[in-house]
Amino acid sequence: MTRIAIWFFSGVTVLTVLAMALLLLMQSLPVWQHEGFSFATGAKWFYRQQEFGAASMIYGTLVVSIGALVLATPVGIGAAIFTAEFLPARFRLMVKLTIELLAGVPSVVYGLLGILMLRNWIYELLAPFDPLSGDTLFTAAVLLALMILPTIMTLSDDALRSVPATQRHAARGLGLNGTEVVLHVSLPQASRGLFAAVLLGLGRAMGETIAVFLVIGRQDNQWPQSLFSLQPLIESGQTLTSKLGSSETNIAYGNPLHWGAMVGLGVILLVIVTLITWFGAYLQRSDHAS
Amino acid sequence: MHRKLIHHGFRFFTGLCALACCSVLMTLIWAIVQRGWPAISWRFFTEQILLVGADGGIFYNILGTLILLATTVVVSTPLALGLALLHGVYLQGNRWRSHLTLLIYVLNGVPSILFGIMGFIVFVHYLDWGKSWLSGGILLGLIIVPTVTVALVERIASLPSCYIEAAAGLGLRQSQIIRFVILPQSINGLVTGTLLGLARAAGETAPIMFTATIFAGATVPNAVKESPVLSLPYHIFILAQDSFDPSVSAKIWGTALSLLGIVFLLSLIALPARLKIHEEAHHG
Repeated sequence: MTRIAIWFFSGVTVLTVLAMALLLLMQSLPVWQHEGFSFATGAKWFYRQQEFGAASMIYGTLVVSIGALVLATPVGIGAAIFTAEFLPARFRLMVKLTIELLAGVPSVVYGLLGILMLRNWIYELLAPFDPLSGDTLFTAAVLLALMILPTIMTLSDDALRSVPATQRHAARGLGLNGTEVVLHVSLPQASRGLFAAVLLGLGRAMGETIAVFLVIGRQDNQWPQSLFSLQPLIESGQTLTSKLGSSETNIAYGNPLHWGAMVGLGVILLVIVTLITWFGAYLQRSDHAS
Repeated sequence: MHRKLIHHGFRFFTGLCALACCSVLMTLIWAIVQRGWPAISWRFFTEQILLVGADGGIFYNILGTLILLATTVVVSTPLALGLALLHGVYLQGNRWRSHLTLLIYVLNGVPSILFGIMGFIVFVHYLDWGKSWLSGGILLGLIIVPTVTVALVERIASLPSCYIEAAAGLGLRQSQIIRFVILPQSINGLVTGTLLGLARAAGETAPIMFTATIFAGATVPNAVKESPVLSLPYHIFILAQDSFDPSVSAKIWGTALSLLGIVFLLSLIALPARLKIHEEAHHG
């Protein structure tokens, strides 16, 4: 009885997950048939003309989440080094629990702070560059950086703490001071775990919908003139998630091609995020094993 | 001398990072409390929305969120128990175990908007439920399954093996060991995990916006089909998009503060149990 129940509920969960991936794939088929691979590489999205290209949204997702990572990683890892290596254990637990509590602030609350406060600050900050509004990719990146900061910090702290204390004692015994122990022992040994922390933060940033939706401006077809130009940062844009969260999802259902294109965006997002999380989890686990 | 200088500089710099982390996040909380507090009153919690959010309170939004959370627990508990026991008991020493772990991690990373899209296809259209509290609860339940499972798995893994050996020595069958030893001993892992999961589910907007919740005009659902609920996160989400009226603005911050209150309350109840696990991890 117990055995049957356990296998049954596990089966339900695993099958639901697999069925979900399959369902998204099937529903997106029309757009792959219509556009071929250029669905992922085309930058133009005009649904009335039946033209669907996801590239400008993929670009938006990458710029926003990598921007967030660039802002959050140094501070997050720096803070983790302090709590894991320099702070007495009592305080460490306190700081860590506070940070984890803050990691639970709902994304719609971050979105609210973004739309009512951050947007105006960014607009004033960027005034010399003459942006059209405060709804920019940069605003979204800053907001996401705040959101993933606790994730990166607390996972980095775990990674650093998993380096055995004997290694540190041995290094101290050889005459290294605290900083040298961190730079030559803890950081190299925890490097996989730290990389995993960053990857998991990236995965979270890419999948975030509501906060990004509220501050990004949701402007379609924003394809940069040069991939290395910084100009798009101060313009509005669209990410995969902000598109999926928009009312176009309601409109699209019923037209198989348009719906296929919307779900196709979801499939692209799922593939990218799954690869990142999978790699992050893999690194994290092999780190603990050693 | 040179080395010492670098050491102090480095420690100061990392300390600054930690301070920046804590203070930025504290400032966020302070900003919400400061703006939201004036809106909080007894009326705010007991009345329904009036004048498109400019007046009245959020009674049905809180109720809707609680209905969604209750459904979430009912859905996530059996699924997470099944997965955790499969992982901890039946797959012990099996190579499928690490695949299952990986699946749980990947599921945890799936963006919540994709659950919303899936729910939109399956519940709203295939099953023709329209917007329904039940689809919202099922989706949120699936979303928190990894959180609950991981907490349970950690708890089960930390059980002293002598308990299980003693039970086996008394001649208990595996299913009896699960029911009378493993489950009672790991129940606080289930509670902690569920509380943390609920703290996450309470604030999720993306999975329920197309499937379960509307802005105004719903009270207590009395069926499954076409029975949406109001909810706190969706209320904030909609009002945030046209928040130029100052009286609306006060209500949004009040709603945000209430949501934050629920989320923090759920995580704080889970805190003592988590502290205990931390301690055991350090001394055990």
